[in-house]
Amino acid sequence: MVRKLFLVLAAAASALAINGAAWADFTVLVPSSSEGDGLRAAAADYSKMKGTKVEIVQAPYANVFEQGANAGATKSGVFDIILMDDPWIPFFAENGHLEDLTPFFKKAGLEGPDTDFLSKSLAICRNPYNTGPYVCLPYVGNAQMFFYDAAKYKEAGVDAPKTWDDVLKASQTLTKDGGGRYFGYVFRGGQGNPVVADFMPIFWSYGANMFNEDRTKVTIDTPEGAAAMKTFMALRDVSPKGIESYNANEVGTALAAGTAASSINWPNWVATFEDPSQSKMVGKISYSPIPAGTKPGSSEIGHWTMGIMSASKNKQEAFDFMLWATSPEQIKISAERGNPPVRTSVFTDPELTKQEKFRHYPVLMEAIQASTPRPRHPKWPEIENAFGIELSKVVAGTITPEEALKNSQTAVEEITGLK
Amino acid sequence: MLRPDKGMPTASLRLGGALEHWTERHLRYLMLAPTMLILLALTIFPSFYMFYAAVHRISPNPDLPWEFVGAGNFARLLTDAQFHVALRNTVVFTIVAVTFEFLLGLGLALLLDKFIRRLTFLKTVLMIPMMLPPIAVAITWKIIYEPQFGVLNEIMFRLGLPLQAWAGDVNLAMFSIIVADVWQWTPFIFLLMLAGLASLPVEPYEAAALDGASSWRQFWDLTLPFLKPVIAIALLLRVMDALRLFDLVFILTGGGPADRTKVLSLYIYQVAYRFADPGYAAAISLFVLFVTILLSTWFMKRMRLAE
Repeated sequence: MVRKLFLVLAAAASALAINGAAWADFTVLVPSSSEGDGLRAAAADYSKMKGTKVEIVQAPYANVFEQGANAGATKSGVFDIILMDDPWIPFFAENGHLEDLTPFFKKAGLEGPDTDFLSKSLAICRNPYNTGPYVCLPYVGNAQMFFYDAAKYKEAGVDAPKTWDDVLKASQTLTKDGGGRYFGYVFRGGQGNPVVADFMPIFWSYGANMFNEDRTKVTIDTPEGAAAMKTFMALRDVSPKGIESYNANEVGTALAAGTAASSINWPNWVATFEDPSQSKMVGKISYSPIPAGTKPGSSEIGHWTMGIMSASKNKQEAFDFMLWATSPEQIKISAERGNPPVRTSVFTDPELTKQEKFRHYPVLMEAIQASTPRPRHPKWPEIENAFGIELSKVVAGTITPEEALKNSQTAVEEITGLK
Repeated sequence: MLRPDKGMPTASLRLGGALEHWTERHLRYLMLAPTMLILLALTIFPSFYMFYAAVHRISPNPDLPWEFVGAGNFARLLTDAQFHVALRNTVVFTIVAVTFEFLLGLGLALLLDKFIRRLTFLKTVLMIPMMLPPIAVAITWKIIYEPQFGVLNEIMFRLGLPLQAWAGDVNLAMFSIIVADVWQWTPFIFLLMLAGLASLPVEPYEAAALDGASSWRQFWDLTLPFLKPVIAIALLLRVMDALRLFDLVFILTGGGPADRTKVLSLYIYQVAYRFADPGYAAAISLFVLFVTILLSTWFMKRMRLAE
């Protein structure tokens, strides 16, 4: 009798393990960060309200890409929705992993996403960029801002930095006076994504770009690229020793601990800087758009967007959830939970803007509107890796800036097949 | 109602008997079957699948067929600069780290052999690094090496020594990884050497002492030859493990700065998962497998010769 019971239980457990997805009406893959936490909280609300079971699978940043790519390549259908970093969109869309949302909008009686979304936030969700069909909806409005300690900058003779020359002027003074324990500037020099993310805004602000307009030529090794590299090297010289291994955490910590005066960073760090338990700089950090070089400054856009996996068996349920989660009401709740919004009505909502912790919203909205996406290419992860190696080498001083530009040009040409 | 004759077995009884007989005859295979199935599913099938993948170009798009490229992926190894960098770094890491681990492990075992049996607490403490999960070790060393707030630089500062970037310095990054690995895996060598020392026969040493042989001569002519099989096993296991180094590099440096710590495992991971090129990643993995088999065969051969 006991043996029979055990066997029945074992069989039931195996069946449930095999059909794990049956526990949920649909499954969402999200990063294990504040962005993913926000969507997890929203999913819990949705489950309570609609009675729909939403399973949230959280993974570290890089693993979200890997798990999504693997699920797409194997058509496993294990995830119905993926919360993607926007540079991944061309890879997922062009390899057939993402569903075209047009029929779902039509069925819902909509032309597409409403115009309350910021135009730059919507542009990245179309593939090809800004012209193709929608393959996702924007959820978290990330774009880099310039963070600086206004009092320290003032001491160094710069009121509000408008250009990279202003930043250099203040940073050189502050680093010189810092005696090796305080620095005017700090950036992410870690090989790969970190160093590329902090270099691109400088690159663009000198009129440089990775490709020409019609994407037929790689244009890294140009006079504009050289001008950007010159500023980048000057910034390296006023940054702490060891930035060659810095990622967002190290940069954020340096600013929150008051050992560095300025950096480029993502808006989700604002909450940390304004939290007395994590920051010595509460109320002291100022936010501005990316400084100008020879051209107006432009930040890198890094939105988190929701797309439906092509192999999903619950597409309609997934779309309904996405539409609900990106509604003005839900984006406002998401903003209150710490995720930067993607809608004008939320950015300008007096209930939020009157609060001290949202004082960066006007700057962030401006930064998103003036942002530039990373080059939209399905091989972006490989391009970023190659460019990141050369930038890491130049930051570490093993090659010259000229060599870095030349090597990057060759590497990206080889990867993309553009000569 | 007719009843079956007691002497005449029913069909079900006959079937039961035949099944019992068959089970008895094939019991040994039945007992092995679960293990064989697991082995087939987890080792043999993936290995053949890796061979199959290595001779194909695999698109991340599931609607595109796998393209047979023969030895194309292997030929790529010859011209791939990143692979050459990763190979060089892996060789440097393996040689330096395993040498240090061996020398330290053996030295510690010789030093503590006489006392350790009484000091079990010390033995437990020495074992801690190798019992920690690699990810915890990597995060611990990341905190130690942190240039601004790290423990190591704080000590350097208090001693009036120049601060270092450790994992961020091109000249120190590989050294920093090696130090962390030596810290974690020296206890493993130490443990094996200690076991080896405990199993040494006493008589040859008594005879050598009577003949007036010095401690050094006893070590060189007795201990080392006796320990040879243990040393070979320890080195073989460590070399095989060092060739698979991943966690420390992934957490501490991500392969940087300037590619100075990119090792083969990290490169395989990048090619397979970041660049979505599993065919080429399978080819690199096969290369590593080939080198590992070659090394282990050579080691085992040397060990047999030593015996």
